[in-house]
Amino acid sequence: MQSVQQMTANDIEPSWRAVLRLIAFRPWIFLLSSAGIISFYLWPLLPGLFIRQLFDLLSSRTPLTNDPQATIWALVAVLIGVAIARSLTTLAYPFGEKAVMLIVETLMRHNLLRHMLGRPGAQALPPDSSPGEAVSRLRDDMGHISIFMTWTADPIGQVLTFSIAFITLAQIDLRITIFGFLPLVVILTLVNTLNSRIRRYRQAAQESIGQVTGLLGEIFGAVQAVKVAGAEAHVVAHLHQVNEQRRTATLRDQLLTKLIDAFSFGAANIATGVLLLLAAQAFQQGQFTVGDFALFASYLGWMAFVMGMVGGYVTKYQQVGISLRRAVALLQGAPSLRLTQHDGSVRMRGALPPVPTPAPQAVEALRTLSVTGLTYHYPDSERGITGIDLQLVAGQFVVITGRIGSGKSTLVRALLGLLPPQAGQVCWNGQPVADLTAFMSPPQVAYTPQVPRLFSEPLRDNLLMGMPDDQLQRAIYHAALEHDVPRLDHGLDTLVGPRGVRLSGGQMQRAAAARMFVRTPQLLVFDDLSSALDVETERLLWERLASHSQHTTVLAVSHRRAALQRADQIIVLKDGQIAGQGRLAELLETSAELRELWRTEKDDTGHSS
Amino acid sequence: MQAVAPSYRHVLATYLAPHRARLALLAALMLIDLALLLGLPRVVQTFIDQATSGAALPALLTIGVAYLAAALGQNWAQVGWQYVAHNIGLLATNRIRTDLTMHCLRLDMGFHNSRTPGELIERVDGDVGKLQNFLSEFLVQIVLNGLLLVGVVVLLFLLDWRVGLPAIISVVLAVLGAVLLTKLLAHYSIKERQASAELFGLLEERLSGTEDIRANGAVAYVLRRHLERSRTFFRTSVLRALLSVVSWRSLNLAIDIGAIVALAIGAFLALDGTLTVGQVYLIFAYTTMLDQPIETLMRQLDDLQQATASMSRVQQLFAMQPQVGDEGPGTSLPEGPLAVELRGISFAYPNDDMVLRDVSAQFPAGAVLGVLGRTGSGKTTLTRLLLRLYDPTAGTVLLGGVDLRAVPIANLRARVAIVTQDVQLFSTSVRNNLTFFDPTIPDERIWAALDTLGMGDWVRSQPQGLDTVLATGGSGLSAGQAQLLAFARAFLRDPGLIILDEASSRLDPATERQLEVALTQLLRGRSAIIIAHRLGTLDRVNQLLILEQGQVLEQGQRAELVRNPDSRFAQLLRVGLEDALA
Repeated sequence: MQSVQQMTANDIEPSWRAVLRLIAFRPWIFLLSSAGIISFYLWPLLPGLFIRQLFDLLSSRTPLTNDPQATIWALVAVLIGVAIARSLTTLAYPFGEKAVMLIVETLMRHNLLRHMLGRPGAQALPPDSSPGEAVSRLRDDMGHISIFMTWTADPIGQVLTFSIAFITLAQIDLRITIFGFLPLVVILTLVNTLNSRIRRYRQAAQESIGQVTGLLGEIFGAVQAVKVAGAEAHVVAHLHQVNEQRRTATLRDQLLTKLIDAFSFGAANIATGVLLLLAAQAFQQGQFTVGDFALFASYLGWMAFVMGMVGGYVTKYQQVGISLRRAVALLQGAPSLRLTQHDGSVRMRGALPPVPTPAPQAVEALRTLSVTGLTYHYPDSERGITGIDLQLVAGQFVVITGRIGSGKSTLVRALLGLLPPQAGQVCWNGQPVADLTAFMSPPQVAYTPQVPRLFSEPLRDNLLMGMPDDQLQRAIYHAALEHDVPRLDHGLDTLVGPRGVRLSGGQMQRAAAARMFVRTPQLLVFDDLSSALDVETERLLWERLASHSQHTTVLAVSHRRAALQRADQIIVLKDGQIAGQGRLAELLETSAELRELWRTEKDDTGHSS
Repeated sequence: MQAVAPSYRHVLATYLAPHRARLALLAALMLIDLALLLGLPRVVQTFIDQATSGAALPALLTIGVAYLAAALGQNWAQVGWQYVAHNIGLLATNRIRTDLTMHCLRLDMGFHNSRTPGELIERVDGDVGKLQNFLSEFLVQIVLNGLLLVGVVVLLFLLDWRVGLPAIISVVLAVLGAVLLTKLLAHYSIKERQASAELFGLLEERLSGTEDIRANGAVAYVLRRHLERSRTFFRTSVLRALLSVVSWRSLNLAIDIGAIVALAIGAFLALDGTLTVGQVYLIFAYTTMLDQPIETLMRQLDDLQQATASMSRVQQLFAMQPQVGDEGPGTSLPEGPLAVELRGISFAYPNDDMVLRDVSAQFPAGAVLGVLGRTGSGKTTLTRLLLRLYDPTAGTVLLGGVDLRAVPIANLRARVAIVTQDVQLFSTSVRNNLTFFDPTIPDERIWAALDTLGMGDWVRSQPQGLDTVLATGGSGLSAGQAQLLAFARAFLRDPGLIILDEASSRLDPATERQLEVALTQLLRGRSAIIIAHRLGTLDRVNQLLILEQGQVLEQGQRAELVRNPDSRFAQLLRVGLEDALA
């Protein structure tokens, strides 16, 4: 574990290289974006030059031109022309900056998602992450990276603007230029030194926000418990307390931010004040004209604004580093290059490539599936399975049973490659399976988890998930779902999942079974249907399965008698190891553990009569 | 959903009224900010006019110093009112949040069952958060920037009406444009936010179901759905950016051209001596001040659109009324164990089929009743009626001989406790989890309860005892420990009736034995209703009620039912189909 983390940490490429690779993904849009950003800084320098001429024309004691009126007309025409041209260049924003950010974010999300879904299903996310937290990485961290990419143009624009403004003004009066820029530089330095404190305050504010939403989530997740305990007022009082903590933290953050904003953007007025003091003498001596003053005031104003946008590049670059690390952590040890690679599948226009469906005859039909020495232990825990050997023959109905925590689900998940086995081998018709995670999926194998997930899509899409719909009706019937579908408002087109109609636990499990049947796999794996199905429905499902597809092989976790009695083979697990294997009648003779399971149940009935 | 026209006045009156002093301070600081903003260019004008007419150096320097002082003052005033406004907004929204949470908690379970916690967080925190700006900055910004625009135009008119004219035309055009365009843009912003919510919603759901995706070979399909949603988000996002840039720039252009024309007219007036050069500079300075207020107004109007949507959602929520509520002063339940009587109970969830049909049954005080039935037979619904999470569609529930509808809800829920299989734990101290944040319960009572239930030693072994903070969702606890905590919760309230809903399923035998001991303590001297999936759990039961499809299939003394070979219960025992009860 330690060594893997060590390796990943060393493996992360420098942020700038990752950013360069992202730029290379869509270089032309990036160039358009950069041109737009640089011109944003440069445009406001132009009108100042003509304003200066206008004021010099008005204030000079000797007429500068023969026809001042014509000159004014000409200046007005130029100024309006500049304003229009400036407006047109802002069109670079939606098609450049905005577009390139969205494209690059999509690329990175796609790469991360592809990698996570390619991992063993139960370990798609790093152990310290949750889906909600991973989404915040896929949204916010991708945003930090992509916006930094467009920020690469800002310093160029800022330095250019600064240099041009400085040189232009210095040619008029070097001394005033130097002292005029001074307050800007002082304020900029001040603001930058406050940056670390802002970050601290901001972080505290963010944490306090998380506490409020976390508490609200808990309250609304436990409404019934709160109501029946009559604890509404106490819970709300606690919420108020947490809310007030957030207010204090947010206010502190806001005060500092506003203060900094006021001084960096308000620096224009302060610089103008300094300019007045400096220019007073020069004015008197006739070395400084009203036109010069107008140019200085306009440039210093714009410089102050630009200053407000400068700064924090180091911080921003560090933020990119943090975001990259958080993103690469989702790759769980895979090379960080995966994040930024592009193979042409991410495009914003044109037809998307069709979804490949698994070829039905890709592998030899199942005759036997044998497992030898399969071992998996959860990190930092005793739990797991050790040295599991078992063999399935095509057409068999095999039941895995055992107490809670005996390792039933772990065995199924390890066998399917949803957890990476630490030892052992799985052979398909005697041939060792090299990549369990990839192989143990349709059309070879499909699986219904104990608590299946449906997604917020129409029921039909949830069942098909990209498969053609020719098997749909049969699958629905086999899953004993045929009476439920017409009862839904829009039948198969009903939106289900978290944002749709809520199905009962039993309906979800049968829908998941139907989803599995659509894929016509050779081996069906069920993890404990009994957790949500009543015994009759479970029996019905087994019967339909048996009568309609004798060739299908079934591996099911169950403790139901209906399943145990039907089984061609029962595997009894105890403390992660096989405690018995065979038919029910044999096991009742030979396996103490199964007898124990059986006896507890017998005791129940015996006791009662 | 019916849109409710939000009544801003009501919200403002209710939630801002307590902050009159802060509001007055806010107004004062804002007016200082405004006055200084409008005054600064006048100082420059004076400077230029004095300088060009050859005034003495000290006079010019004094003007310069005055300008610097005013500029700093304006900065402080601005920071000041923004801080005060922010504080008012936070204070007001925190009040709304607590009021709204309280209101939601009082609403029926039907309301909560049709909404996820995430949705309610979005209402209570997200929507209310969007009101914050409205309650703090919106009015100030509208007033300040409105006055700034009016002030600039008036001052330009005072210079010369010919200068004021182009300014007022461009300002009116830009303000009208801002109002119209904000409406148009709002539509596209909503679409963009929807596309974003759909994209990230998709990701969150898929990442929660990686096993399902992986084991059903749907990776390629999910990747494609991600790309489809990303494209929709891309299109809506770029379109909105385009529209917003075009509208924003058009307004700016209108202001810019107005400013250039005003400046030009000023220049011509200066040529014939009507205006001084300083006054022309004043025109230049004032007209460059017009961009910012228009932009701020537009942003505020956009915020208002969002706030309007949020406000109407919040008010819709406030307008909802619980169906179940107290009527009149009511009758309290008697002390001690409670007798249970159901008289012809029928019940259907809203827009659904009947779950219970004419259920009648009667059990004496102190009875331990076992309720059996398949999934969907109405067992759980029955317990909800006993707690008045719902009222029956027909019939009457009586506890201790009192009609539940006459019992104040607070009294009912103090006397009836329920322990469900899924124990909801908060990520806070063990103490808060046991008392539900009730600070009036002394630690001695908590320890007494824990010791009685045989879990005192376990809590003492925790690093901080009662102050030990449980992980989110109680993830560090075993199912059995969570159950025991739930028992202690119920025990602390000393109820007359305990309802135990499927509390013993999914546990291993050892944990179950531990729970048995605690359960015996919990049930001592109380009535109880136990809903069980397994016959073993029914050992302690002396009365039985078997439900099927919402109707009473059988009821009576357990001992009698066991003796009667024709009883359904006896049949169940013979067949040994303990699963049939699930």
